[in-house]
Amino acid sequence: MRGISAARICLAASVGVFLILGPALPEARGPSEPTQIAAKKRPTVRMGPRRPPPRTLMPPPAEGPVEKVEADVSTRSVEVTTGFTGHEILIFGAIDNSQQPGEEGGYYDVVVVVEGTSLPLVVRRKSDVAGVWVNTSSVMFASVPSYYAIASTRPIEEIAGPLVLERAAIGFAHIKMTPAPGYRWSFHDYELAAFKAAVIRLKQKEGLYVVKAKDGVTFTGRSLFRSTISLPANVPVGPLVARTYLFRNGEVLSAHIARVTLERKGIERLVHNFAFRYPLSYGLVAVLIAVLSGLLASTYFRRETG
Amino acid sequence: MGTLKGLHWARLMNIYLPIAEMSVNAALFLGMGCAVGFLSGLFGVGGGFLLTPLLIFMGIPSAVAVGTGSMQIVASSVSGAIAQYRRNNVDVKMGIVLVAGGIVGSVIGVGLVKILRQIGQFDLFVSLSYVTFLGAVGALMLIESVGAIRKASSGQPASARKTGQHSWVHGLPFKMRFHRSKLYISAVPPALIGAFVGFMAALMGVGGGFVMVPAMIYLLRVPTSVVIGTSLFQIVFVMAATTLLQAIQNKTVDVVLALLLIVGGVIGAQFGVVAGGRLKGEQLRFLLAALVLLVCLRIGWDLVSRPSEIYSIGPVIGGIL
Repeated sequence: MRGISAARICLAASVGVFLILGPALPEARGPSEPTQIAAKKRPTVRMGPRRPPPRTLMPPPAEGPVEKVEADVSTRSVEVTTGFTGHEILIFGAIDNSQQPGEEGGYYDVVVVVEGTSLPLVVRRKSDVAGVWVNTSSVMFASVPSYYAIASTRPIEEIAGPLVLERAAIGFAHIKMTPAPGYRWSFHDYELAAFKAAVIRLKQKEGLYVVKAKDGVTFTGRSLFRSTISLPANVPVGPLVARTYLFRNGEVLSAHIARVTLERKGIERLVHNFAFRYPLSYGLVAVLIAVLSGLLASTYFRRETG
Repeated sequence: MGTLKGLHWARLMNIYLPIAEMSVNAALFLGMGCAVGFLSGLFGVGGGFLLTPLLIFMGIPSAVAVGTGSMQIVASSVSGAIAQYRRNNVDVKMGIVLVAGGIVGSVIGVGLVKILRQIGQFDLFVSLSYVTFLGAVGALMLIESVGAIRKASSGQPASARKTGQHSWVHGLPFKMRFHRSKLYISAVPPALIGAFVGFMAALMGVGGGFVMVPAMIYLLRVPTSVVIGTSLFQIVFVMAATTLLQAIQNKTVDVVLALLLIVGGVIGAQFGVVAGGRLKGEQLRFLLAALVLLVCLRIGWDLVSRPSEIYSIGPVIGGIL
């Protein structure tokens, strides 16, 4: 009982609280200010062959105010230091003009996609050459997201049809992954598909492509929702983009983008930059460290053992 | 509370390697350095041929394992080289010829590393090199040590090799007088041996003592008293040059990882030396041969057994080839 009443109070004030607190958050007005994507118009034509049937028989609120989603990320900048073991970010947001009857959810669906920087990537395939397993063919993809996490209120296939998901680039199957020019014509489509599937499989194995379908996004009020995404220790360094989509009856009502910077900091940054910007000096310092530590150790142990 | 504290310590022990770009457990790598240091102290070998494959097994990218290994070898051999030099066990002139060859070999090797990484064949090349060299050296050592153990048990003294014999080595040009080794031979064979060892250093992350020492004894007929000192002299300078070259061209030297391995290695070596004093020479050689062959078989198995995943992904290195 207590929970429900508290939730009701929260629910009543939720939109207002968020609107007051939202802009007042620290760092909220940085260079990476969240940008609003124009809400896509609800097409009247049914899209996609596997579109789930609507769960309610109510007609959509015809001339009512249009819902809009607003979201933000708890941490605007994640620092990769020598002690970095991963980081959990919280994506929270609210639905303006929410028509949802209660905090149990179910009326709307929310999908959060956190995507890392897209980088070129080589996929290699081994085959048996005279008894030894050798890399014999490779495909270079011009740009592949280094990290890709999806959190949603329900499994995404239940939320919308493949065409809608494809347009919004939601889901592993819809990740934009195009082979570099030289590779497109030297492989069959099914071979390219196998290479693409291998990227997704291997990235999942590394913990860099993640799905949180079961309660990935939860409603905490009529219009408030939250989602936590755990960035693993091996997350590639580079800016992240958090996209939030509001769904109703298999269509995108509104979307929102927030950005998170993921940078090297401290000694970690110093060493990495030194190694890549001044390789000669870095090499000399490495040799010097090796020589000094070797000498130091031997003099120390010589004294110890007499 | 106890688990919380445990978790905190586990987190503290995690360290992010700036070049390998991964978070590893520092204690694990310290321990690994310690174990390899123990073995190298026990057998009196550099340990690069154990350390580099171990790093690769642990998930360190093989190029980073090889580059960082060369830095670790500088640290582990520098004090030994100085001690040998003080005892006048280094033929400096021969050493300089070996180093000159070694640096040329290392330059070629580091360049080849870059090309092999671009075409995605570096891992294969490293594995094949290890299987070949460890297999050959391990088998030779095993045969030799088994023979020595048999002779020792049957009471016969081990026969010393005849010296002073002339071979094809002595017919080559550019003859030089190596006073400390009491040799008057061509500079070509030592330079070639040095170059080969430098080439191996760059590709495999090993010092190459296990090739250089037998080559100096059997091919050049350098007196055994100066062989160890002179090869250590070559290893220090060539590995220092290799570290520098790998850092410049391939950016695969991880200072943080190297420091973990150096600290562990120094501690382990002290115990290894003590333990080694209790075993006989031929027994030690037999154990070392067995160890070398085990590492060889482990790497060979990975080459021929059907992998569970035939695809692999990696970053694009220096454009398309």
